[in-house]
This record gives sequence, C-alpha cells and structure tokens, in this order.
Amino acid sequence: MTSLWRRFADGVENPIVVKEGISRMRTWRAPVVATIYLALIGGVGYAWLNIGAFDSYHPAAAQVGQQAFSAMTFFQLALVCLFSPALAAGAISGERERQTLDVLLVSRVTAFGIVWGKLVASMAYVLLLVLTALPLFAAVFLFGGVDFQQLVLTQLITVTTGLFLGSIAVFYSALFQRSLAATVTSYATTFVYAVGTALVGLIVGATESIRQASVAGPQFVVAGEWYLNPFFALASVLFPSVAPRTTLRGYLQVLFFGLPSSGSPAVGGPQVEPWAVCISFEAVLAVAAISAAVLLVRGRRAFGSRRRPAAALPAEAPSAEAT
Amino acid sequence: MISVEHLQKSYGRRVALEEVTFTVPKGEIFGFVGPNGAGKTTTIRILATLSSADQGEATIGGIPVHEDPAEVRTLIGYMPDFFGVYDRLTSAEYLEFYAACHGVPRRKRRAVALELLELVDLSDRRDIQVDTLSRGMKQRLGLARALVHDPAVLLLDEPASGLDPRARIEMKELIRELRRMGKTILISSHILPELEELCTWVGFIDGGRMAASGPMAEVRDAVVSGRRLRIELADPSEEELVRVEEILRSDEGVLEVARLPDHLEVAVSERVVDDDLLALLVGRKVRVRSFAVIPGDLSEVFMRLTRDERS
Repeated sequence: MTSLWRRFADGVENPIVVKEGISRMRTWRAPVVATIYLALIGGVGYAWLNIGAFDSYHPAAAQVGQQAFSAMTFFQLALVCLFSPALAAGAISGERERQTLDVLLVSRVTAFGIVWGKLVASMAYVLLLVLTALPLFAAVFLFGGVDFQQLVLTQLITVTTGLFLGSIAVFYSALFQRSLAATVTSYATTFVYAVGTALVGLIVGATESIRQASVAGPQFVVAGEWYLNPFFALASVLFPSVAPRTTLRGYLQVLFFGLPSSGSPAVGGPQVEPWAVCISFEAVLAVAAISAAVLLVRGRRAFGSRRRPAAALPAEAPSAEAT
Repeated sequence: MISVEHLQKSYGRRVALEEVTFTVPKGEIFGFVGPNGAGKTTTIRILATLSSADQGEATIGGIPVHEDPAEVRTLIGYMPDFFGVYDRLTSAEYLEFYAACHGVPRRKRRAVALELLELVDLSDRRDIQVDTLSRGMKQRLGLARALVHDPAVLLLDEPASGLDPRARIEMKELIRELRRMGKTILISSHILPELEELCTWVGFIDGGRMAASGPMAEVRDAVVSGRRLRIELADPSEEELVRVEEILRSDEGVLEVARLPDHLEVAVSERVVDDDLLALLVGRKVRVRSFAVIPGDLSEVFMRLTRDERS
C-alpha cells in the first residue's frame, strides 16, 4: 500500500518533471520548434482551404472545412510521430551519459518516479504543441463539416500516439547506454508502427481481396493490421465509412485468421470503434514499455541479485590481512 | 558508523573485490587509498546502494545495505568521481531539485539550498547556471548536493581529482568543516599528501584486497618498521658532517646515514633509543642544534603495502 501511495505521489509531485520543464523551456529551441510546428500546420490548413475554395467543382464550405481539417489532423499526427521519439529517446540514456543517473538513484526518487517523470516531462512538450495548435483547428472548425466529437477524438488519437511512441522511446532509453542507439531504434519502431502496419494491412488486404474475388468480385478488404495504425484510426473518425465497426471477437478473428470465406467475421459482444482498437493497443504497449523501463532502471540499483545472504555463508572467506 | 566485512564482488570472470573489510567510527574521516582499479569505487558503489556485493556484509549506521537500501539512502550523501550537471539550471535550482528528490519539504528547499551555497562559499553564484561554473566550483556544488538531506555519512569518490591547488585547499577545508559538524566521511583518493593531512583513519586497498586499515597513526607505525631521524648541527661544515656520520655508523642500531647539505638523515632500527643516540653524539663533543623523528608518510606506507601485495 505504501509502495502504491509512493508511486502515486511520485506521479503527482515529481521533481524531475519540474526540473525538465524549467531546462527545456529555457532554450531557444522550445519556442522555435513550437513556432515552426504551428506554421507548418497552419500552412497546410491554409493551403487546403485555398485549394478547396478555388476547386472547379466549387464544393460547399463544409466540405472544404472537412478536407482542410483532415489534412491538418493527418499532418499533425505525422509531426507528433517525428517529435515524440526525439524528445523521449534521451530521457534515461542522457542521464547515464551525463553521469547524473547514479546520483538520482541514490535519492529517494523511485525507479517508477524517474521513468514517469522523464516520460511526462517529454510528453508535456508534445501536449503543449497539440494544445497550441487547437486554435488553428478551431478556426477550420468554423467552416463546418466536422463535429465536436471528431475534433476531440482526433486530438485524443494524436496525444495517445505521442504518449505511446514516447513510452517506447523511454524504454529504449533505459535499455541502451547511448542516446543515439535509443533514438535510432525509437525511429525504427515508429516507422514500423506508422508505415509498417499500413503496408502489412495493404498486403494482407490485397491477398484477401484476390482470394475472395472469385466469390464476390474484386473489393477492398480492410485487414486487421489496419486497425492498429494511428493514421487509419484518424481516417476512421473523419470518414466513418472507411472502416466498419467490429466486435472484439470479430476483430481478433480477422487479425489472426483473416476473413472467413463467408466474407464477414464472427459477431458477438459489444461493438468496438476502429479508433478504440488503435488507442487500446497503444495504451497496452505503452504500459508494457513503461513497466519494462522501470524494471531496467530498478536493475541499476542492483539489489535482489545476491545469491544468498551473507549471514548464511560458511566462514570460508579469508580474514583481513593487516587490519 | 560504516562497517564492511568480507566484501566480495566479481564482474564476470574479473574479480573486483576479493576480500574487503574495514570499519569507520562515527565522526571520523576515513581515507580509502589504492591505485586505479584497486576496488575503491566498487566498494563505494556498494555502500551507496548502487551495486550489490556477491558475498559479505556492508552496513551503514547498523543497517545492512542490501537489506534496507532505501533507509541507507537517507543516511548517506554520495558524491561520485565525475560531476554531471544539468544544463540551464542555476546553482540554487540545482540544489532545490536534489532537495526535492531527497524528500525535503517544498517550503524548506530554498532555505536549504541557500544555506548550503553559503557553506560551500558559492552564495554569489546562486543564480549562475551550473554548467558555466569552474571545475572547483562544480566539485563544491557537488558536495553541497550530497548534503541536501543532511546525511550522517558522506561517501566521496575522488572529490579533489582534477582540481587546482587553491580548489583542493578549499575542498579540504570544507571537508574538515563537515567533520566538525559531526559527519562521518569516507574519501577515496590516490592523492596521498592531502589524505594524510585530512584523514583520521585510513584503509589501503590493492587488487581488491584490503592491505591495512585503522587509525592513521597506528597503520603508519605498523607498516613502516624502523624510524628516521633528522639531525641538525650547530656547525654544518663538511668536515663536521663527515665526522658525525662516522660516529653514527659506529652504532649498531643505525641502519643508514644520508649526508645532506645542512643536516643528516638517519635510519635507525626499532631497538635504538633516541636519548642514547643523542647522548653518544653529545659525549663526542658534537653540537646538536636539533634532533627529531621524521614521521613516516602515507606515501611510504602505501608503497610498502602495495609492494608487499604484489610480491
């Protein structure tokens, strides 16, 4: 109970978060990155509005608004995928490289406190970027075509993905001695997650499509891997017709065994939104990554590895020579 | 206050600590001496709860380090041999951060930081960013950091390495002040003259084994057999020095006589009584200005112990 309370306290009042916040916000990089981030998202939104407005089809304002909002949302998620590993990959390995980790480990801060503090400090900046971009989204929101729930869900997916990728990066940071190794593997994992799941989804979907073509003619088949992809999750929120709702059982069946020959997976149980599959997957992996990082940091204190207590040893150790 | 018994530690096949035993009573400054790679840092890391021993027992304040490391951490202040800093934090913020890490209540952190900056004579640098401080200042700040939670025991790993002479003197004074405050201090170093001036207890480690440990004077006397005497003459002319050398060599207890420009240094066996030797000189009409025992220094003790170990 005390341990749980200590963890909760470490999470709520964590000196590492405060310290990291002070040091990060004192650099010129923080406002410059935020400015570039906002300029890029604003630029994408502005460009899309202009393209839509001068389109020869003269679409309705709501349609232009939805397209601009979608473009900005996808672009923001791509930026978060780029920033999150960079911000978190040096969290623990950086302490090791500066040789400050040992001093932290000798303090009262728990291993969980160190990992959580580092993650929150890194992700607080990502959250700040997302929050500062909200007015831009709100401006596009005025055109219509997007409802409030979509705004909330897209931001939720973006933040969850950032947190997930940050957790993975913190894990690598605890695993590797060097920040460079942690950064490279974090980006490789991000690539596999953001692009790899889409590629596998395409290949699996195409294979299914060919297999079923003889029965029902050529059609686009949404493979289970697509549901794990954060960009697909965004698409499912913005364009609900892209991805059908499914049950958990049905989803698992599609993911591991492919679509049955009947063309529709087994149904049963409550319906699950496609985006919920994605953020649940991210949440589970994030918890696993954080837990693994805590174990790795705790291992630096190296207790519990003794073969047996000294008191139980036979008196075979030689005595001191000249004490 | 610190007790280490039969500590053993290996990294794979490499044996880092083979047999380490020593004690440090409360309020003493213990000099932990040994060549590079002897096992000093490994021992300190075990005491600092950063590493576990394969066998043996280390206790601080009566608490076994491996059984209750969290409690031990409240008793110790640890200063590693390398001073890592955080960018863009001022000296005061740096100490406040570590005070928070050690659970010092929020309302007290600022006062603790300012008090410690005063102690280490860095009050005028409290708003200066840590990474811009000189090495000596960083070392003093590192010592202040180790004190944020007012620990009873300080584990200082090479606190004076890389410091210029002034910074070393300041560091030495600071450590003396901490002893006056009642702290028990373990310092590892291979700068022997400084340890000799500073430490009240000493332990020699070589190749992962303790060669000797105990109160400084006892260890020195136990290791350095025989004594050296310095004899100054009222007439330090060459002829007189030669004559006195001959007189001294006639005594069976005199092992060696070194004739230096203005005095003689004489190595004598333990059985020689100084008064008798002085009486011999006076009886032979030698006008002696001073007759004193040269204290055996730590370097000599260290050389003898490490030589013995290697032989």
